Amino acid sequence: MSSTHSQNSSLTRRLETFSYDDQIVRWFVIATVIWGAVALLLGTTIAFQLAYWKVNGLGDLPWITFGRLRPLHTNAAIFAFCGNAIFAGIYYSTQRLLKTRLFSDALSRIHFWGWQLIIVAAALTLPFGFTQGKEYAELEWPIDIAIAGIWVVFAINFFGTLKVRRERHIYVAIWFYIATIITVAVLHIFNSLSLPVDFLKSYSVYAGVQDALVQWWYGHNAVAFFLTTPFLGLMYYFVPKAANRPVYSYRLSIIHFWSLVFIYIWAGPHHLLYTSLPEWAQTVGMVFSVSLWAPSWGGMINGLLTLRGVWNKVRTDPVLKLMATAVTFYGMSTFEGPLLSIKSVNAIAHYTDWIPGHVHAGTIGWNYMLTAGVLYFLVTKLWRTEIYSKKLAETQFWLATIGLVLYITSMWAAAFTQSAMWRAIDETGKLVYPNFIETVVKIVPMYWVRAFGGTFVFISFIIMMYNLYMTAKKGSVVDGEKLEAYALDESSIEKNAKPHRKLEGLTLVFSVLSLLAILVGSMIELIPTIMSYNYVIQKAEVKPYTPLEILGRDIYVREGCYTCHSQTIRPMAHEVLRYGKPSEAFEFIYDHPFQWGSKRTGPDLHRVGGKYPDMWHYRHMWDPREVVQGSIMPRYKWLFNSKINYNTLPKKLEVMATFGVPYSPEELQNGVALAEAQAKTITEGLVKSGAPSDVGNKEIVALIAYLQRLGTDYGRIK
Amino acid sequence: MSDNHSNTNEPKLHVEEDEKHLLLDHNYDGIHELDHNLPNWWQFTFYGAIVFSVFYFIFYQFLGGPTLRDEFKKEYSKIEALQAEMKKKSGGFDPELYAKIVADGGVKKGEEVFVANCVACHKEQGIGDIGPNLTDKYWINSKGTPETNYPVVFNGVPENGMPTWAGVISTEEIYQVISYVQTLHNKNLPGKEPQGEAVEDNAATTEGAATDAPQAQ
Repeated sequence: MSSTHSQNSSLTRRLETFSYDDQIVRWFVIATVIWGAVALLLGTTIAFQLAYWKVNGLGDLPWITFGRLRPLHTNAAIFAFCGNAIFAGIYYSTQRLLKTRLFSDALSRIHFWGWQLIIVAAALTLPFGFTQGKEYAELEWPIDIAIAGIWVVFAINFFGTLKVRRERHIYVAIWFYIATIITVAVLHIFNSLSLPVDFLKSYSVYAGVQDALVQWWYGHNAVAFFLTTPFLGLMYYFVPKAANRPVYSYRLSIIHFWSLVFIYIWAGPHHLLYTSLPEWAQTVGMVFSVSLWAPSWGGMINGLLTLRGVWNKVRTDPVLKLMATAVTFYGMSTFEGPLLSIKSVNAIAHYTDWIPGHVHAGTIGWNYMLTAGVLYFLVTKLWRTEIYSKKLAETQFWLATIGLVLYITSMWAAAFTQSAMWRAIDETGKLVYPNFIETVVKIVPMYWVRAFGGTFVFISFIIMMYNLYMTAKKGSVVDGEKLEAYALDESSIEKNAKPHRKLEGLTLVFSVLSLLAILVGSMIELIPTIMSYNYVIQKAEVKPYTPLEILGRDIYVREGCYTCHSQTIRPMAHEVLRYGKPSEAFEFIYDHPFQWGSKRTGPDLHRVGGKYPDMWHYRHMWDPREVVQGSIMPRYKWLFNSKINYNTLPKKLEVMATFGVPYSPEELQNGVALAEAQAKTITEGLVKSGAPSDVGNKEIVALIAYLQRLGTDYGRIK
Repeated sequence: MSDNHSNTNEPKLHVEEDEKHLLLDHNYDGIHELDHNLPNWWQFTFYGAIVFSVFYFIFYQFLGGPTLRDEFKKEYSKIEALQAEMKKKSGGFDPELYAKIVADGGVKKGEEVFVANCVACHKEQGIGDIGPNLTDKYWINSKGTPETNYPVVFNGVPENGMPTWAGVISTEEIYQVISYVQTLHNKNLPGKEPQGEAVEDNAATTEGAATDAPQAQ
């Protein structure tokens, strides 16, 4: 057994006494468990909504519909559940890996309460339609600012802890924490840039293809740096601790860390394959995603091979079992990810249920399972006791695993079925299934299977909650235990150390290098496309939205239509037959934010304008089944009661004009009058077809105005 | 009081015989590290993917590899050729084919086609809703005869919201649904107000269609 350098102490060394702040870890543990249950309950709810539309309610309660709850589910799962789990694990392990108490007890507590308040703010805004309409970044600007603030508090607390450490070299877990904290800050700030209209409404500063690129640079790297790197850090601490095994390969840690961090940041455009994003950027997104396979599996190898020789313990110890399963699912989803990024595979899989299936293999298989292992570890350590019931943990494990397998396989089946139906063209050059709804009805049984799979996962979580509660109850809390360690001094400097070993002692340099690693890809990808605002070919025929259409678009964003409908037609024969000509970048230059979506539970809407009469949309929004038999879309009856809010319209147009949207002075001055005039025209047509005469000032009219405009400008270009 | 920098209180580290020589002199909170070589297959995958990426990027960006739009144009021109051929074949209204389809139970099948595709706008029994009432004598784009209804269904009237049904339903189904629509004529069911022009001399109801007409429920 080797001994650390610090034990070869010289007389001049200073022995210091300190204690860990475990209270803050316990708080984060409790928050993790509570928000995890909320996130899974929401997930299960929306899964049933997709299987049976009436679970959305009957059209009177806006805030329980899929379009509003789905963003709440994703935000709760990622930022509330995984966020608190990360903070618990990082604060516990960092103190121990650096032999010091956290930098500031006060900052820790501001961090904790600030984060919980942000979550509460999310729960109080998203269901009520306050959203920026960008996936995983829906929260409105005041909350975005709060997130940035609390993240800075976290960063100061963490880097402050690095500063006061008593261990010279930082362990691989700490590397991953550093990369996480730096990158999430960069991603969040640049993606959230927006101009406010009022306290709870803002528009993204980016438009169309630029917004899409920035959003998916963010969106993909939220997966990378919120759901992957911090959890790899946790894996590197908790797996060897729980197994009493040395980590498999230090040199693999080095190469997989740096390659993962450097390569991941480039991969975002694989969410935009076949769109109007410049093709070089798409290709970059694809090849970097393919190159991510090995770096990701480096982490898996280091996790699984660390368990070499103790697999018998994996069978009996719930902590190891959950963690080993998590690492296995990590390996599976990081193989599936590069596969899905290959253009020809993506052509089949994109917009289908394969994507939610893939995502949940990651979030349930990797994040939930690893967190469950970490939670059992932490609760037994922090409450100084043994696990209450291994049997319950075993039950939890099997329920979660079976639920997840049901989820993944049902989504594969749904995706292959639906994708094949979308693409089927017969020998006369026609779509075999021209009615989109036929392809939906076919896969609804799979939605039921997924919903029950999700229910299993939810129940497994409740079992864990109970098990953890009972464990904590029989244990006891002992805070302030005195520990001793030598202050950092020259004795720990390793002469003749290799360069990376030296770097592990230089935390500032390490952090700067991590920042550079993520900035290279970010800048090379983002800057040319952002600058290209000036040279996306502009067509005079593509005009800004009218004032009424702006209001309609805001309703579209508010209701979360993008969670089920895309607005971008790929250059593929079957899509052109079904939806119209491929979407072009210049068609979206006034779209703040872009609304391309990422999933087609319903059909693409980019060229829906003019496809149906106004009355069709009127009926459809009242009850989709009146015009589309078998539709699973919720009713939107409140749009027929709520009046159009013209109050903020002048300000909205002003913000758009600030972005360079060319509104005429007349439009800016008489926006409301123009909107009312357009509403009147639409209303007259609707009334003629049998709508009540007081429909004119209702939101449905604004929404129809927007829908009827979609994709029509380019239709006029010869 | 636990001594943080001693291993005495820690559970015994499990190290296999064949890896003892790989154990590094690192200890973080009792965590040790081995220094195994990178597995060969892993290195192969790692470098292989990078090499593939370089060649792939160069081929598609610099050496004239087909763009996605090129591939789309190629794919779509094949579809257009198929469609042109179909158009040639389907041609205009074929009275003989119509009579044959009507004789073959076309009205009954046509009703199924109607329920599946048309009631969303024309309502059950064609009383009209989003689309016009088909049971009165007023017609917008046709004279109410099978010949004049055929192009309305086949090509659609996009400006009025009537979709193009060619390609959505088969030509046979178009004939069937037209024969069903003929049975609705002049039933004058209460529904949407009249639209278009009155066509007085409505000899639309063909004999075959009349005899096959289902009883009004």
